[in-house]
Amino acid sequence: MSSSKKKWFSLNLSNKSQNTTSCGCGKSSGGCGSHSPTPNETDQPKDGFDQVFDVKMSRRTAFKQLAASLAIGAGAVSTSCSVIAGDESKEKAQIDWEEQFKGNYKLMSDEEKQATVDRLVRSYQLRTGKTLNMSAKNAEKDVLFGYAFNISKCQGYMDCVSACVEENNQDRNSQMQYIRIHEMKDGKGFNFNEADDNYYHEVPAEGHFYMGTQCFHCDNPPCVEVCPVQATWREDDGLVVVDYDWCVGCRYCMAACPYDGRRFNWSKPEVPEEEVNKNQHYLGNRMRKKGVMEKCTFCVQRSRAGKNPACVEACPTGARIFGNLLDPNSTIRWVLENKKVFRLKEDLGTEPKFWYFMD
Amino acid sequence: MKHSYKIIYYLLSVVFLMLLFSSCKHHEGEYHNVNDKIEAEGKHYQGVSVSSEAYIGDIKTIEVTEGEHTFLIPERKTQIKSYACTECHSKPLDKMQNKEGKKAHWDIALHHANDNAMNCVTCHNGSNMDDLKSITGNVIDFNKSYQLCSQCHNKQFEDWKGGAHGKRIGGWAPPRASMTCVNCHNPHKPHFDSRWPARYNTQKVKERE
Repeated sequence: MSSSKKKWFSLNLSNKSQNTTSCGCGKSSGGCGSHSPTPNETDQPKDGFDQVFDVKMSRRTAFKQLAASLAIGAGAVSTSCSVIAGDESKEKAQIDWEEQFKGNYKLMSDEEKQATVDRLVRSYQLRTGKTLNMSAKNAEKDVLFGYAFNISKCQGYMDCVSACVEENNQDRNSQMQYIRIHEMKDGKGFNFNEADDNYYHEVPAEGHFYMGTQCFHCDNPPCVEVCPVQATWREDDGLVVVDYDWCVGCRYCMAACPYDGRRFNWSKPEVPEEEVNKNQHYLGNRMRKKGVMEKCTFCVQRSRAGKNPACVEACPTGARIFGNLLDPNSTIRWVLENKKVFRLKEDLGTEPKFWYFMD
Repeated sequence: MKHSYKIIYYLLSVVFLMLLFSSCKHHEGEYHNVNDKIEAEGKHYQGVSVSSEAYIGDIKTIEVTEGEHTFLIPERKTQIKSYACTECHSKPLDKMQNKEGKKAHWDIALHHANDNAMNCVTCHNGSNMDDLKSITGNVIDFNKSYQLCSQCHNKQFEDWKGGAHGKRIGGWAPPRASMTCVNCHNPHKPHFDSRWPARYNTQKVKERE
């Protein structure tokens, strides 16, 4: 049937024999794309140099890759081969080179994760002379993070916003903030059109209530789905994270997020050296660069160490509750099981892990 | 001819069923919703390796068991500036109320309920100042002052026991240490003051102009 060349495609459902020429394209060997890959090809995810170099690419993409890498490569090579450049600048060039060609964090082995973290720490040390503490701690087994927000407790003091900015090294110039506190009129429900998220008067204001939004760490995150380079993903403990070094800054995720949870660095983020939080995580509050997305990570550098996120710790009213959804004795589970909880835009099926409740 | 139609129908139904049971998605959609996921993955919960213990720090705690909840709360007596109260309150109250001698607690004004419902001795024990007392006159330890509050604020008490009211000390990880009522609320003036927000985003104002 398929041995004679046909000009149309036919499913060969009734003939399931191990015919070597069973492919719809009529070829007996690879190349048409419909052959299933052999198992040894998919054994291990490619990483590092392999991700970049060990792929079939057209001449055009090859040129693009080359051009992008040439700038950094030329600099690195000239410095590392130079006889007059010092050891430090050679090391810096070596780090830049390796950072340029490292793989996607999601696909890295634990050693590779540690290696890139070590490089970033060393690079910061070479540039500023200061030492950081950066972690590459993975998600822990039996942990799924969840958050609950008590809208009858929040008084709109915004201590959470301050704590978040300081903890997560957000750009001071653009005053980027992950958390928004919305002041809403009593009796109008969640009316975001009429809510004010940038009030400045004595709070709580008469006849108003307050509710906070931030990244909800959806279990079915639309931002992850639209990312063309898989620079954002959901970790096993439920945190939706971004690899700032893999992000290309297309902002699709920003458009896809129905909760306004994502922020973009329009300019180079700057934090005064003495205000930099040196307790960092690769996926969390390490310094970002211009043109990449960032967002709330439930303070991954804190939460994976067993602490509460900075907003939870800073809240003076106890409106914010954080914990492990898989632990049947956790306080978050008690809230979900005993209070009347709801989530924003539940009908979208994004399954946010951020619940609101009232006293 | 009829036979070949049958085959086509058969094939189409097989294809349809295959489409029905196979999803184009990867394995992200394993659960219908996050509640199913919590239920399924939490079934064999084994505990976590991280602990809050280090973050509780120097705060001295005591363990309390209320209903089915057992957790830590900060110890109180050592935090009260002039405990034990009997160091000064050596005589009954009416004998101490005179113009001579040192004044104490003169700055405390009670802004808690109204005069009909509460005065000092609603909570303080006039005959034994080292302890508090319930409405019916039973002794309540200063360390467990929540027992006093919960006499009226029983809804808040239920929420506090479960963890919906109040704050955690340390982190989310076990052991659970929670602040007790008086760590946030001044018992003589329990309502929170209104104040200005911690920050104002001037950049946002510019962007929206």
